[in-house]
Amino acid sequence: MDFLRLWASQGAQAGWLSESFSYAFMVNALVAALLLGPLLGGLGTLVIAKRLAFFSEAVGHAALTGIAIGVLLGEPPENPIIGLFCFCMLFALILHFVRNRTAVPYDTLVGVFLAVALAGGAALLMYVARKINIHMLENVLFGSILTITDFDLLVLALSCALIVLGLIFTFNRILLASISPDIARVRGHNTHFYDYLFVMMITLVTIAAVKIVGAVLVGALLLIPGATARLLTKSMGSFVLLSSLLATLSCLIGTLLPMELQLPIPSGASIILVAASFFVVTTIFRIVGRNS
Amino acid sequence: MGPSISLNNVSLCYENNCILTGISTQLEAGQCHVIMGPNGGGKTSLLRSILGLTPFNGEINIHWSSSKGKVGYVPQKATFEPSLPLTVLDFILLNQSRYPLFFKTNKKHKENAIEQLKRVGMADRALLRMGQLSGGEQQRVLFAQALLDDPDLLILDEPTNGMDDQGVRYFESLITEFVGEKKTIVVVHHDISAVRRLDAQVHVVNGILIESGRASEVLKAEKIEQLFSHYRHAPTQQTKIHSVNRKSEAA
Repeated sequence: MDFLRLWASQGAQAGWLSESFSYAFMVNALVAALLLGPLLGGLGTLVIAKRLAFFSEAVGHAALTGIAIGVLLGEPPENPIIGLFCFCMLFALILHFVRNRTAVPYDTLVGVFLAVALAGGAALLMYVARKINIHMLENVLFGSILTITDFDLLVLALSCALIVLGLIFTFNRILLASISPDIARVRGHNTHFYDYLFVMMITLVTIAAVKIVGAVLVGALLLIPGATARLLTKSMGSFVLLSSLLATLSCLIGTLLPMELQLPIPSGASIILVAASFFVVTTIFRIVGRNS
Repeated sequence: MGPSISLNNVSLCYENNCILTGISTQLEAGQCHVIMGPNGGGKTSLLRSILGLTPFNGEINIHWSSSKGKVGYVPQKATFEPSLPLTVLDFILLNQSRYPLFFKTNKKHKENAIEQLKRVGMADRALLRMGQLSGGEQQRVLFAQALLDDPDLLILDEPTNGMDDQGVRYFESLITEFVGEKKTIVVVHHDISAVRRLDAQVHVVNGILIESGRASEVLKAEKIEQLFSHYRHAPTQQTKIHSVNRKSEAA
């Protein structure tokens, strides 16, 4: 990383890179964006195929409670990763476990879990607020490129490597298990295993994305690039690739733009607004194209 | 050679609702067996029990001639969201291997997929989205999926649902071909004239096993109304009809 930061700094001094690149945190943020973008875009296609958009939102919102629990248990307020990881993972696994054992419609169930997690988080934050500056939580909830450290990048790189590897070996099976669980089971695939694996991947990527996109907005980045790519592609392969490309571009542009324009916008909000602008343009293009 | 399947006192109940009661029969190897019966009679539940997709009481054994062979399955329907860019080819490929759809398509896999689509007359639609196809066309693709591994046992749940005449012809010629290759086929079907053309073993199910035998014996005009009435037969009637069958077989 030091070499990369030095190289970017020299580039900025020589004038062939923007001045923003002379800041170490900016290089860290861009590396994080390059790691996270393709992964969120790729996973997002499965979120859409499996109709789990609301679920990924709920996991993101559960982060609020996870952060509060972590801080209360004595973790550093700027990076309560153990509380965040444990609570989000438990939240996702219990939600999925209950889903398989109840007749309550899935969206209703997610709504109930989401409400409970948010209410719990709001209640706990009252206690947390006495311990720390409450504005620090904004960084975790909505992302802040200023706070990305080498350790964060290492965690992110390891999480991404793990998920990408898992996705390469299981993508087809996760998709088949969602389209036709019966065919998947007759073919000998353990559909429950693939369902839980996917839930764990979503949770892991949510936690890994907390610093750059923010826990609350990561669900949107799982969804919007995929929703845009779905409008433009004709096969599953191109759907995944375009979704990954759009998510990466959103992450890069959304990270760079506030710095270049000196706008006081959290990185998460900026990334989501860029991703949403791709979606809006594509939707308008499709509507106009259909009517003309 | 396909397997034989023995069912011994198979029952299936959900809470207080018993779908199947005391089904005992033998599905011989290398033949086409058609499960018929009125709606809600438990035909699909019986297939799902054979496949191990639903818990049941009793015993179902699949006897393979040597090592365990391949099973092909066509469900009654699968839900394909129209806006999901999953093509016919994608669907076949994701059934075929782990090789992820977002990598460059493996040439051998693609050739095999197209070959199976040709067998059901769907190769020219390989690049259409699954959600764009009619119900009958989707059934043909699901059938192509079941053929991928050259299965020894084919289990088909109303495979001709919504199919046009051309689709039905493809289906019937493939069934004839598979019976010639001594594969075992278990199919739920509701079209009596189509079943007569197949001349298969017919098993009429309505909660219990009502009757089994060659299509020409079971599907006689005078019996049809009684066999396919929605009235659920009591278990005692099963024993009665079966004992009659056993006697007639012995005679």
